[in-house]
Amino acid sequence: MSLVTDSPVHSSSSGDDFAAYLDAELETGSSDSLGDEEVEANNELEEDVEDDDDHESNRTKRLKVEKVQHVLDPQGSTSQVLMEKNIEVSVEQDICTHPGSYKNLCMICGKELDVESGVSVGYIQQGLRLGNDEIVRIRNTDMKNLLRHKKLYLVLDLDHTLLNSTHLMDLTLEEEYLKGQTDSFQDIPKGSLFRLDFMHMMTKLRPFVRTFLKEASEMFDMYIYTMGDRPYALEMAKLLDPRGEYFHARVISRDDGTQKHQKGLDVVLGEESAVLILDDTENAWAKHRDNLILMERYHFFASSCRQFGYNCKSLSQLKSDESETEGALSSVLRALRQIHHMFFDELDGNLDNRDVRQVLKTVRKEVLKGCKIVFSHVFPTRIQADSHPLWIMAEQLGATCLREVDPSVTHVVSMDAGTEKSRWAAKEKKFLVHPRWIEATNYLWQKQPEENFPVAGGATDPQ
Amino acid sequence: MFFHIVLERNMQLHPRHFGRNLRENLVSKLMKDVEGTCSGRHGFVVAITGIENVGKGLIRDGTGFVTFPVKYQCVVFRPFKGEILEAVVTMVNKMGFFAEAGPVQIFVSNHLIPDDMEFQSGDIPNYTTSDGSVKIQKDTEVRLKIIGTRVDATEIFCIGTIKDDFLGVINDPAAV
Repeated sequence: MSLVTDSPVHSSSSGDDFAAYLDAELETGSSDSLGDEEVEANNELEEDVEDDDDHESNRTKRLKVEKVQHVLDPQGSTSQVLMEKNIEVSVEQDICTHPGSYKNLCMICGKELDVESGVSVGYIQQGLRLGNDEIVRIRNTDMKNLLRHKKLYLVLDLDHTLLNSTHLMDLTLEEEYLKGQTDSFQDIPKGSLFRLDFMHMMTKLRPFVRTFLKEASEMFDMYIYTMGDRPYALEMAKLLDPRGEYFHARVISRDDGTQKHQKGLDVVLGEESAVLILDDTENAWAKHRDNLILMERYHFFASSCRQFGYNCKSLSQLKSDESETEGALSSVLRALRQIHHMFFDELDGNLDNRDVRQVLKTVRKEVLKGCKIVFSHVFPTRIQADSHPLWIMAEQLGATCLREVDPSVTHVVSMDAGTEKSRWAAKEKKFLVHPRWIEATNYLWQKQPEENFPVAGGATDPQ
Repeated sequence: MFFHIVLERNMQLHPRHFGRNLRENLVSKLMKDVEGTCSGRHGFVVAITGIENVGKGLIRDGTGFVTFPVKYQCVVFRPFKGEILEAVVTMVNKMGFFAEAGPVQIFVSNHLIPDDMEFQSGDIPNYTTSDGSVKIQKDTEVRLKIIGTRVDATEIFCIGTIKDDFLGVINDPAAV
């Protein structure tokens, strides 16, 4: 079948050539379609093709008329315009809208497409592209399916969220002992420290991650979305999900994103109103902050601490690790459970109209509900207090922020115990806490014991 | 479709292979080089069945290698539009499924899967009819029709459909 004469390419060629070309094409085409009619009688797809034949021949007739005009009309330009109009009309009449393609073949009519269009979803299969309408359609049907199974979407970052990796050559002397403690690839589900010699890397999984994935997979369809490259992402997926039960083909790496240095939900085949994101980097999700649950960074290796400018000893150097039951992942899992429960069991109204972003906000607002906070010696004076990240974070957690002290205040957040407000707090028996109290509360989804965040006496920063 | 055709290839042979086994060496090298490859024009070379004729060798200047023009018979496999193929499903997702017929990979979009089959996510993603009697998942064998092919110099890609009479599952390993 040689009827793939999509017009846009030819519209630029001169009228005469085009007509001749179409004539030739039509001849081969019509003989082809005759053959088809004999072979397959009532087949939808073939019908499409035959319809195509018809309008193709119409177009040619029209063009022939135009050609005559072209000869008669001394001002060829007007007829050229006319002809192009006609072509545009016939393109609109094209039956298949080519909603998506595989290796440049339309996935419905099987025609070869001239231009690459749509969003690449190469993480599912190389060469697969989907148009916007198709993505919307898939999201809709998938959403219904998912809600029926009481599930939502969860997009997970890898580095510093679920695990920590380092190059072998970046290991410090103090960390050499790790090389003797790596777990075997024979029994991945039980291990947590792996040495990937072929990638020259060592990877430590965050404590609790196995339980986290298992429990979260009952509430969510999970994606991996990392800024690492594709081979790395797949290797890590193998460590996290050795039996291939959680992620399937839902591993997205930076090679699959549509924008540089940004992560976007446009390649995720899920409604944005049902997606939650776990990531340690807020800036990567500029467009989807409402979906984001910010994670405390997991720094196991010394190189990772250095990379982020911390001068403290890493967990590996201290030969310790995050707590399994009190760590970031278990806290987040608790919050996720709460969100999931509220989304499906507590909200009224139609399931389709619910928005997990609203639920996320509501759940977050419960954490510091009832707290009234005054800041002292925290913000630089030149910055508007209520635009400072800590102020915003506290309000998102449900606390009320005030500029001046009054009897209803419950917490004074201060860097310095010597300020007027700090002394007032001590006198009035209010909680006096370090700003890290708010950050920790934010990461752990629970009001933290105030006594763990004392404020140092002098004017110096305790950090 | 399979074809039994005659192809020609210029084989370069190192002089160390010369001697009474020259012809055997030439043939085994030919098999190694050609079988399993894909040319856009002829399709996949499945197997060499015989040698028609080995032409006169020509010494390459400077290297000592000798080029022999070899005519050989072989079985090639090339999918065509409209052809019915039997294929094994390799991956199922919400966009449709991928299947392999030998070396050819075929994509069947969910538009071209019968409307009564619905996608089910889970441990083993699959397409199932509402009564559960027919199921397409990984390793299922399906009969499908090719509706489009794209031929590269070294690869062939296909779009298929199972939305037609007598197409669909022919053997489901999960049901056995």
